[in-house]
Parts: sequence; C-alpha cells; structure tokens
Amino acid sequence: MPEPLAIEVEAASKVIDGVTVLEDVSFTALPGRVTAFLGPNGAGKSTTLRAILGIDHLTSGRATIGGRRFREHPQPIRVAGALLSPDAVHPGRTARGHLAVVAASNGLPRWSVGAAIETVGLHAIATLPFGQMSLGMRQRLGLATALLGDPAVVILDEPHNGLDAATIRWLRTVLRTLADAGRTVLVSSHLMSEVEQVADDVVLIDEGRILAAEPMAAFVGSDEPGALEKRYLALVGS
Amino acid sequence: MIRAALTAELVKIATVRGFRVGTVAATLALPLTSLLVVSGGGLGARDTVTSGAASGSMVLLAGFGAWAAAVASSEYTQRTLIVSLATVPRRPLLYGAKIAATATVAGAGALVGAALSFALVAAVTPPGHRTGDPVALAGTALTAVAVAAVGAAVGVLTRSATASTAIVLAALLLPKAAAGLLGSLQPWVVGASPGTVVTQVVHGAQLSTDQSFPAGTTIAAVTMVVTAAIVVCLGGLTFARRDG
Repeated sequence: MPEPLAIEVEAASKVIDGVTVLEDVSFTALPGRVTAFLGPNGAGKSTTLRAILGIDHLTSGRATIGGRRFREHPQPIRVAGALLSPDAVHPGRTARGHLAVVAASNGLPRWSVGAAIETVGLHAIATLPFGQMSLGMRQRLGLATALLGDPAVVILDEPHNGLDAATIRWLRTVLRTLADAGRTVLVSSHLMSEVEQVADDVVLIDEGRILAAEPMAAFVGSDEPGALEKRYLALVGS
Repeated sequence: MIRAALTAELVKIATVRGFRVGTVAATLALPLTSLLVVSGGGLGARDTVTSGAASGSMVLLAGFGAWAAAVASSEYTQRTLIVSLATVPRRPLLYGAKIAATATVAGAGALVGAALSFALVAAVTPPGHRTGDPVALAGTALTAVAVAAVGAAVGVLTRSATASTAIVLAALLLPKAAAGLLGSLQPWVVGASPGTVVTQVVHGAQLSTDQSFPAGTTIAAVTMVVTAAIVVCLGGLTFARRDG
C-alpha cells in the first residue's frame, strides 16, 4: 500500500499567448477520497491536471503531490498514475507493448504489465495494435497505464468517455476501491450522475477560476438524486 | 533512472513495427548501395575494398537521420508525449534518453551495415584492388550517431516528421550541392559535413583540396560532432521550456 499523498494546487495561474487560462487556482485533493474536478469544456480542468503532472508549465503558483513537484519524485509512477487522453498511444503499438514501455521507464518488473492487463480486462486484446482498438478499450488501456505503478495518486481526465454501462459501473467500483485503500483520486468528468455516486469532494472550475472546493454533501446540500447537476448548472449556467 | 529511461526509449522503438523496419532498411542501405556501386563497375583504379564498402554511406546516413527524426517527432504526431512526460517528468532525462536511444540504434545499425558491406564488396571486387583499412568504416558509425542525434533533436524541435526529415536531408545534401556558393568557406563547410567526413576517414587522400577539411580529418570529425551537439542542446532547451 503506497504512502498517502495529497495533491495541492496553490495560486496556480497560466497565461497562453496573452490569454489567461488559469487564474489563482487553489485546491487540495486528499488521500482516501475521490475528488471530482468539474467544469464546462474549456474551463481549465485539463490544463490544471497537466500542470499537476508538470506536462504544462504554470506561469505562477505551484502544484505539488505530497509536498513536492511531480518531477522531483524519484520514481514518478509510484507516486501518480494518470489517464489524460485515451489516444496517447502510438497506433502501431500493442497494449502489452505500450505498458512495457511505461513499466521500463520506471524500472517496474515485467510481471506488472501482465497484472495491469488482467486488472482492466484487456488480456484478450493485449496484442492488438492500439489503432485497431475501440474507444472503450483505449480508456481501459489508459486506466491500466495509470494503475501500473500502484500509485498513491490517481488522476483521470474524463475517463467515462466512450465507456458502456457495464464498464462505467466497473470504473465506479475501481475508483471507490482505490480511494478506500487510501489513495488520492482526482477525476474530471461531465457525467454528473456518475460523479454524484462516487465522489466525496467537489472542485468546480469555470473560465480558469475556482468556483467551489468543498465536500460533496456541502456542495449539493441535498440527498435528492440529480442535486449535483442542478447545483452545477446553477453555478456555471446552462 | 537514466538506465530506465533509456530502456524505455529502446522499448518504444522495438514495439512499433514501422520503427523496426526503418532500422533494418537504414542498416541494409549501406551494403546494398555499395554492392550496386561496386558490381556496376563504380570502383576506380585507386579505390580499395574498404572505400567501395563505404560508397553507400550517404544513403545510410540519410536513412538513419530520417528514421531518428520520425521516431522523435512521433511523440508529437501521435500525441504520445503526455504519457512519456507523465512517466518520465524530468524533461532533460526524457530528452537525453530519446537522443541516446536513437543514436545507439543508429550506431549499432551502421556498424552492422558496414561489416555486411565490407563482406559483400570484398566478395565482388575485381582482383587488383587493395583491402584498405576496414577499421576506418567505424567512421561511418560515428557519423551515423551524430546524424541520428541531430535527426532526433530536429524531430523534437519541429514536432513534424515531414519537416524534420526534410531538414535532415537538406543538412546532409546541401553542403555539397551548394558548395559553389560558399566561396572560401567551401572546404570548411563541405569538409565537416557528415558525408565528406566519412569519405575523408575512409579514403581521404583521394579527395580534392576544396572538399577536404583544411585542419585535417580528426578536426573535421570533431567539428561535425560539436555541431551535432549544439543542435542537440538547442533541442533540449526548447523541449525544457515548451508545454508537453
């Protein structure tokens, strides 16, 4: 079981070609909890997630995992695993080949590849080129990539896209299990009904600014089904 | 971490068929081109088996330069860079591993290609030609390493397979093609260009003075390597500053 680590984003701002895409963004995602990162398209969710992992540079502010920048950890995929895009695999590479690359990059044992493939149920298509996989299969491979290093923090950017009902239900169980085991789970999604069932905390961003960062119960203020969507639309507009 | 990152870059190459085929094609370019040249009567009276074996060097260099550019730029064209950065977030480490992996494969491929080329050319060379110094063919490997490193760096700089391949081919071919426009700089520029460095190493005495590097073959090779290192550093600085 990895050491519990929190994600902390402090006064993060990013300006691209004179356009402010993040402005003074601050929030914390805690171990043992699923934090839903919500907001409309273009709100700054993906940019924030990429900044946490050091993929995009912040203009000012700081994003850390366990108090250190992601790149400062000696074995990064033991610290954080991420699914940021389901298409970020070379189309000629198989699922097994892709996971072998990721495992090799952090010196993980070869058996971890087979274990990750089993975890997400991709064993039947492990030797299929990525270019021939459906979106659902790609999402599963992305999840396998995120979980390969048994990380303390799991960051998922819209993991529900392209999944069928059974897989969405399976993903819900996976997210809950990860959090219950003490991991920090930060997940962005547009699927409010799903987020409402699994998330403990909510961070809402719009036009690069944080509108809310609080526990789910406090955010929705009601046990009524669909309350999250109503509250969300009330804050960001329909 | 350095070893792990380098291993990952080598596994990246090994797990895509196109990259494997490119490696084999670039490796075989030298022996097959040299064989065509020699068996077609292209060996001059003063040529040796070694110089005949190196006659396809430019094709090998173009092959590995374009291959390295395609491998490196594929991180952008196939949008795989975010996974690479999410697993190896230290950019100098990721970039260095990428350059080292492509250069290692190119160097090994060039050595194999040179050995094959020497064996094939020796088998078809008409009697009367001296063997020359086969060890000089190692110069092909050194040059292939430099060209592949530049190819990978340009691939990262341009983020485009087409643009980076065009730049690598231009860097290889233009010095000789535009030699007449260079004036007094001609021997310095042409003499330090990769194709001419190989020629100087393998059979320098036969080159005209306007093609030979004035300070000698060793300095020509050093100049080529330093130039490659500058391009690699430029790529690294750009990679470190840019968003993924």
